[in-house]
Amino acid sequence: MMAMVQILDVMEKALEGKPMSETDFQLRRFAPKVLEKVREHNVRYDPESPIHQFDSAADELFDAGLELLVDVGAYCTSTGRVISFTEEEVRGALKRAPSKLHFGEGVDRKSLVARKPEDVRPPWCLLGAGGGPCSSDRAFTTLVEGYAEIPETNAITTPAITRVGGMRIRPSSPLEILGAQRNAVLGREACNRVGRQGIPLMNTLATAESDIALAAALHPKFGLRQSDGYMICCMDPMKTDFARLNKVTSVLSLGGAIGMCFGTMLGGYAGSPEGTAVSNVAHHLMGILTYQASWLLPFPLHLRHVCSSTRDMLWVISATGQAVTRNTHLLTINLNYTAAGPTTPMCLYETTAAVTAAVVSGMSIESVGVATNRYEDRTTPVEPRISAEVGHAVAGMKRLDANNLAKALLKKYENRLKEPPLGKTLFECWDADRRRPTKEYTQVVKRYKRDMADLGLELKPETS
Amino acid sequence: MSSDKVLKDLREAVLGCNPEAAARAAKAAVKEGVDPLAAIEKGLAPSIKEVGERFERMELYLPELMLAGEAMKSALKVLLPLIPKQKKVSKATVVIGTVQGDVHEIGKNIVASLLMANGFDVVDLGVDVKTQSFVEEAKRSSARIIGASALMSSTIGSQKDIIDYLSATGARKKHAVLIGGGPTTEDWRKEIGADGWGRTAVDGVRLAGKFSR
Repeated sequence: MMAMVQILDVMEKALEGKPMSETDFQLRRFAPKVLEKVREHNVRYDPESPIHQFDSAADELFDAGLELLVDVGAYCTSTGRVISFTEEEVRGALKRAPSKLHFGEGVDRKSLVARKPEDVRPPWCLLGAGGGPCSSDRAFTTLVEGYAEIPETNAITTPAITRVGGMRIRPSSPLEILGAQRNAVLGREACNRVGRQGIPLMNTLATAESDIALAAALHPKFGLRQSDGYMICCMDPMKTDFARLNKVTSVLSLGGAIGMCFGTMLGGYAGSPEGTAVSNVAHHLMGILTYQASWLLPFPLHLRHVCSSTRDMLWVISATGQAVTRNTHLLTINLNYTAAGPTTPMCLYETTAAVTAAVVSGMSIESVGVATNRYEDRTTPVEPRISAEVGHAVAGMKRLDANNLAKALLKKYENRLKEPPLGKTLFECWDADRRRPTKEYTQVVKRYKRDMADLGLELKPETS
Repeated sequence: MSSDKVLKDLREAVLGCNPEAAARAAKAAVKEGVDPLAAIEKGLAPSIKEVGERFERMELYLPELMLAGEAMKSALKVLLPLIPKQKKVSKATVVIGTVQGDVHEIGKNIVASLLMANGFDVVDLGVDVKTQSFVEEAKRSSARIIGASALMSSTIGSQKDIIDYLSATGARKKHAVLIGGGPTTEDWRKEIGADGWGRTAVDGVRLAGKFSR
């Protein structure tokens, strides 16, 4: 029987691992080792192939990521020590990781299953705002109702509440606790209002950055269920702390399914596209060990453009996806960010490209952080709906065809990434009373769908 | 060893992102009688500027940028004590950190490194920095500028707290407050009364230049 790493083992490692400064871990341990693994495994990004094409190279990338975790470990900033894992522990955790999980209740109870590259099965569609900021309870419920009404929605990723009682939330304060509780209550209520009582919330809880806020919102009276998904972030690169491990311990005690989310930055500590892909793979493995994660949520981002739709980011997503899904049965869900905002065709092209990269590479999708997820209320239910329609349409597509599609899409927006159009805000382009986009936005979507048909991707007809 | 060789070694140590070599080269410069100010202006400054520009073009990445910054710091540690106080070598002092309750440091580290590359004296307070710590350190180091980074929508409120604290203590006019980070926007800057908002690290450096005058 292979060694099984549990939360007490993680704590033991965090308390007794090699002491090291955070700077040394990042600059002198992690960064050079990433370069070494890229070189040793000949990991190469080809700008002509934004969608990664080769199985053998994907397998090398996986080996590079696994070796990176074993050589470097994770880092606990609370103790200033390295949390090391042996290869045996990594392989044991991979073996034990689930290949299928159930989320939701009643008729909305569905299965998240492991996919493979070019898999014909549609991706799990975790749809919504990806924790983007929203200004009011009205905006929050309008958005979540809209997400819940998308036919392809398997689970919801809510926005984050930024104000309580007219006051801006402060971290680890009563305001954050009340915001997190409101996040749970309103999220569930919005689903109830549109008749999807059983649908799971899977970014539980976007408003709770601190451990105390999450723990305080876990009480059943706020409506969270064991069948929801519990997302806990680590810090780039491969760092955690007691606050995050507190969240892990609290959720484990409730029997909740933890998804570790991680935003490896292209241009950050892992450096190049190749290094970012290696790091992204290693984070998957770190998640199942350090956080006991049963599902993973990568959201790699471009340091300069803060989105996932650049040419090199599409490659990072697709290469990582193929490396992980070819070599494991992990449940991995890629979250994408666009640079452009609602009502712009560019936003829809961007999410189409990123979702295609993930889905043909065996991943499921969380979609979408709109306009870099920076602006309050600059998101609508349209963008995740389009992502889901694309996700279903490209399931089973060959990687070569996906590469041609991605290149055609990049031609449409690549030169605008530096100054992307921000489009409109929620209530400027979404009719909350009629639960549909404005006529202007509907026309934009129709034109986009005609463009996509011209590129060979037939999407569902736009009805309104 | 000629002074040209010493300056070349200083440049190469920074471009090579090597703090130990930079300290060695700085000591060699002192031993050779090279004017410390010239060693900084002709040896260190052009190379750290080049590193910053290459980072902007994404020809090199964050680890190189930060290690080059460390190399610069190691050399300055040797050279600065030898320069008379009246000969000012930095543009201004910037106190920088990630706000209370927020432990994200990448954006803050990039801005800090680029500021250093552009001749600012940087006091990096790290992450999860209390409001009072920003203000007290700015006072202690006579910093003209406070840079406050926040990555979460639940933590940007702490940027407002810094400004409110400065106002309440009568120190608002002494320091320009620049903000940045994931969920921050120009609208947020206006709402809280910050002096500048940087969408990118380069914006941050440009604003620091503007407010250091």
